[in-house]
Amino acid sequence: MSVASRPATRGARRASALGPGLAALCGVLALVAFLSVTQGSRDIDLSEVLHALRSFDDDGSIGSTITLELRVPRTLLGILVGAALGVAGAILQGVTRNPLADAGIMGINSGAAAFVVFAITVLGLRGVGVYVWFAFAGAIAALILVYAIASLGREGATPVKLALAGAAVTAGLTSVTSGIVMTNVDALNELRFWTVGSLAGRYAPILTGVAPFLLVGLVAALGFGRALNGLALGEDMARGLGQHVGRTRIAAFAVVAVLAGAATAACGPIVFVGLVVPHIARFICGPDYRWILPYSMLLAPIVLLLADVLGRVAGAPDEVQVGVVLGVVCAPAFVAIVRYARLSEV
Amino acid sequence: MRAWRPILAVVVLGAALAGCGSNTDSGGEAPAAAAGPWSFTGGNGQTVKADKAPTRIIAHAGEAAALMSFGIKPVGIYSDEPVKTDPNLKNLDLTGITILGEEWGKIDVEKAASLAPDLIVGDWWPAEKAHSGMEEGVDEKSKKLAELAPVTGVSQGKSIVELADGYEQLAKSLGAKVDSPEIAANKKRFEESVAKFKEAVAAKPGLSVAAMSPADDKLYVANPEYAPELLDLKSFGLDVLAPGSPDPGFPYWENLSWENADKYQPDLILWDGRSFTPTANDEWGKKQPTWFKIKAAKAGATVAWPAFWLHTYGDFATELDKLTEAVKAADPNVGS
Repeated sequence: MSVASRPATRGARRASALGPGLAALCGVLALVAFLSVTQGSRDIDLSEVLHALRSFDDDGSIGSTITLELRVPRTLLGILVGAALGVAGAILQGVTRNPLADAGIMGINSGAAAFVVFAITVLGLRGVGVYVWFAFAGAIAALILVYAIASLGREGATPVKLALAGAAVTAGLTSVTSGIVMTNVDALNELRFWTVGSLAGRYAPILTGVAPFLLVGLVAALGFGRALNGLALGEDMARGLGQHVGRTRIAAFAVVAVLAGAATAACGPIVFVGLVVPHIARFICGPDYRWILPYSMLLAPIVLLLADVLGRVAGAPDEVQVGVVLGVVCAPAFVAIVRYARLSEV
Repeated sequence: MRAWRPILAVVVLGAALAGCGSNTDSGGEAPAAAAGPWSFTGGNGQTVKADKAPTRIIAHAGEAAALMSFGIKPVGIYSDEPVKTDPNLKNLDLTGITILGEEWGKIDVEKAASLAPDLIVGDWWPAEKAHSGMEEGVDEKSKKLAELAPVTGVSQGKSIVELADGYEQLAKSLGAKVDSPEIAANKKRFEESVAKFKEAVAAKPGLSVAAMSPADDKLYVANPEYAPELLDLKSFGLDVLAPGSPDPGFPYWENLSWENADKYQPDLILWDGRSFTPTANDEWGKKQPTWFKIKAAKAGATVAWPAFWLHTYGDFATELDKLTEAVKAADPNVGS
């Protein structure tokens, strides 16, 4: 009895601290969102920003146009995309039991890029608004392909086979993409902006386009905590606990496809957030996915928005893409975490 | 339409090749040059010499257009994009000319060798210290073009007028009758266009223009210092705005975030011709919330800017006429 009750009390103690922690993160996220709306590559008087936010009506002044039509959609998109990438990374790491799993490794970025290039070269289409849908379709197609390849054979989609299939599909699609791009300067120029990963130039139409997918995906993602905890014990154990491992995996992949697909479609492939944030969440929460998932969902947009604000303020009157800032800032942070903090096993 | 371009390009290329294969023996159709030794000093300061004026010339796209405007027909052309869309070549009759490449950095040197050229013509780029087609980044295999024959070209730099004039000199040395009425007509038309342009500009004192290239994530403002056609327009009296802080790594432009799109308020916007369409201004006004914060854009005062391609008097005249109309229509009090 005591053996069974000990983890429960530990879990309860954890929960007593983790619950308020979650609330505190919500506060931090709100603060960062406020920063993202008030700061940028242009100095706008705080009172002007607040007036615009209060009236929520573009009175024609440049301050209110920038606040309401540039910064508010950008911030909301940053929150949704960050949350999606964070939680998708956490789910992928759990379901594949691979600490390096993120959208990039599962073929999502390369699939999205391949479809964007297809849209540019073969169909002659241009513009972020158009790329969104091709990138979305490409991400989902690549993920289905990875899953299908990994499912071949008797054992089904095991973590090792998923990782290998993901790497293979990524390599294949990337070589096709660069093959085309290298021979087509036009496509290269267009793709260059897209591949960095940026929140710039994404306005209300893109936000409203991807938001439904992201919101549904985020809600669904939170339901995976218990199933991922089971999978973390190993497949046989999970089966012994009465889980349908195959079904769980397919459902998890579907949710990841929607989340990472829509996020990548909206902003291009954003690095590190989906990889690093789940590790930080695991470091804070321990191995319980019922906490890791909501923590990832809040930590990731905080990191993403902070990086974006940094790139906008530091680059003024130009802007540095958030993908670049994340690479520069997050890589050393990740090294530090690996070096000095004891990372929980996946 | 764009989707069909690659296919069209292949068909055209095939036709060009077929046409060429049947008449390679007839050789170049350049007018007979003066007998005796030939020499020309290119933009790099080096003089190329030959026993007689070259007749089998391979030229880069715009340079070929320049030579053809003086009646010198090259045997081969390499361009940076499909000849059907290259602004220098799209309106020219290229029958009988072998197309050796239709994308930047890729030249079919084997095919070029089979044409037995005796001169290669490409602009000289002072900053890169290379001729067009032999710059850094070009395929090593493609650069071997330079081994087939002497290479020369006029220097790209501060003026399209100088560039066009340089190619007039080259064409003349190759035997072109540059004073014959039909050839001189282009230059005459250009001079008339310049006069009309100057007149229109003089009638609008205080009119300021900026050359811009809007993109999805940023707005680029051109630095006239690095755009020869803008320098020419300035020398004709037009007030072309110089951006205050060009990108240090790539000083051709100042990059503005869309939040800062209204930093410059010209009275007329010269819109990068590579992306300009008659409906572009309205589309960008809808797409970019701050585009219409530039008062000239809001007022619809935009015109195509022939960015970085002009080589001939004729093309410059045509573009200049469009600019003249835009200047006449512009309101010098729109900006600030």
